[in-house]
Amino acid sequence: MKTKNASARRENDGYLFIIPAFIYMLVVLGYPLVYNLILSFKNVDVKNLTKGGSVFIGFENYINLFHDSTFLLVLRNTFIFTIACLVFQFTIGFAFAMFFNQKFKLSGPIRGMILVSYMMPMSVTGLLGKNIFSNAGLINDLLGKIGIQGPEWLVTGSTALIAVVIMNCWVGIPFNMLLLMSGLTSISQDVYESASIDGANWGQKFLHITLPLMRGSIMAVLMLGFIYTFRAFDLMYIMTAGGPLNATDVLGTYSYVRSFTQFKFSEGAAVAMVLFACLFIIGLFYLRMLAKEDD
Amino acid sequence: MFKTKEGRKELVNSIVAIIIAIIFLFPIYWLVQISFKSDSETFGKILTYFPHEFTVDPWLVNLTDKTFLLSLRNSFINGFLTMGIALILGVPAAYGMGRFKVRGSHVFLLTFLVAQMLPASLTLTPMYLIFNKLHILGTHFTAPIAIAAASIPFAVVTLRPYFKSVPKALDEAARLDGCGALKSFLYVMIPAVKTGIITIVVISFLNGWNDLVYSMTFNVNAEMRPLTANIYKFQNAYGTKWNCIMAYGTILVIPVVLLFIFLQKYIVGGLVAGAVKD
Repeated sequence: MKTKNASARRENDGYLFIIPAFIYMLVVLGYPLVYNLILSFKNVDVKNLTKGGSVFIGFENYINLFHDSTFLLVLRNTFIFTIACLVFQFTIGFAFAMFFNQKFKLSGPIRGMILVSYMMPMSVTGLLGKNIFSNAGLINDLLGKIGIQGPEWLVTGSTALIAVVIMNCWVGIPFNMLLLMSGLTSISQDVYESASIDGANWGQKFLHITLPLMRGSIMAVLMLGFIYTFRAFDLMYIMTAGGPLNATDVLGTYSYVRSFTQFKFSEGAAVAMVLFACLFIIGLFYLRMLAKEDD
Repeated sequence: MFKTKEGRKELVNSIVAIIIAIIFLFPIYWLVQISFKSDSETFGKILTYFPHEFTVDPWLVNLTDKTFLLSLRNSFINGFLTMGIALILGVPAAYGMGRFKVRGSHVFLLTFLVAQMLPASLTLTPMYLIFNKLHILGTHFTAPIAIAAASIPFAVVTLRPYFKSVPKALDEAARLDGCGALKSFLYVMIPAVKTGIITIVVISFLNGWNDLVYSMTFNVNAEMRPLTANIYKFQNAYGTKWNCIMAYGTILVIPVVLLFIFLQKYIVGGLVAGAVKD
């Protein structure tokens, strides 16, 4: 009896430590989340914000969005941007992870150094991108040295999107490398050794040992990568401001412009809900995977 | 030395690694070197790869500007306030979840995991409207309050495994000595997970320091904005004076690099733990 009371008391002590943070999350994230949903069904803008008189208009904001060609372009951009980034940052990140997973003296220090691009402010990355992709910037100068006349990167829509993808990969590669390396180090070297004895070559080992054993890490890194890339904002905001002509506009920047440049708060909220819906689907898969790992 | 097969492999790997580092870090070198160029070199017809007319003027232009110095101060305020909130709320929550058999603990964990994934765009507009109603827009607190909503989940997810791995005997001994839960948390558990705490300190500071979207939305006044949020203002002021813009950017990167040099292992360990769970 006594022990039961003690353990119950212990459990209650646990709540005391968790509840403050939990309440904070509910107030600072949960409440705005619900607020945002409600907002997206109303017609709040800068006029009726102060005077009042906003009303519920049902799905009108959403219906308008899907009839708005700019929004559809932005939606498409967001997917193209995300998938392009995922493909390159994952492939290169994986190659880096395998390379730095080898034991040599410089492996640790250099692996650490290249993480700086992941940790520095994205707004500075945007500044850098704006500079090196300018017409007489570093990229075109280097291209010129090998006899190629570089394009006006940030003036043309398609090349601007490529430039933004490249800058984002510069940030994403170290992140992918880091997470994939932690997966690689968990594979025992014995498995590779016995495969070598059986006469397996490098490609066979990669296909039949590395990939299957890394499945969990690979899925995690791709899903997290999707979640972090799909919600991009800072890079485009500083580097291209979504331009030229919305060519690099993504859901994050488009929602911001609706809310805080045009002050159509409800329309911005609706765009944000679409962004959330896309993340939610991927997020569910990710959480299900984590739950499976826990069992 | 490099006659053996192993030795040759070490040499080849080292060379490849150095090439990767040079290519990968070149943009950062580019940022810094432009910041030491004179105006005439910046506007020159030929693109130079290192400053031929070395000068610190672009730095002085920034460092003697009143708005710049205020923004720098605001960046530090952003970093430290975010760190403070993340530590005060996140560390106890991680302890509660790592050490106690709490009913519904998976609901809590799920909440924190989901919170980590939410995009700023989603809560930005409502927060702006709420802060507007409360008349606290344009104060130092608004941005850190919002940023910490991402730092707290990071702290919980990262630190929980650390707390879990502390031997049971340690806090049981503390309890036998008559320590309450709070005392044993403060004096026994926190020192035991020091490494994890340093990770939270660094990452939550950087969350605040790196923030752009909350800071520029909640603060209209340039003198209340951190450096990140004033980039456009200074870009407009400097025009195409890239040397001044890059000095501005370099100053923004310095704390990140310093933290990296001194606390690298904590950052790396934390990033992995925070993203992959235990």
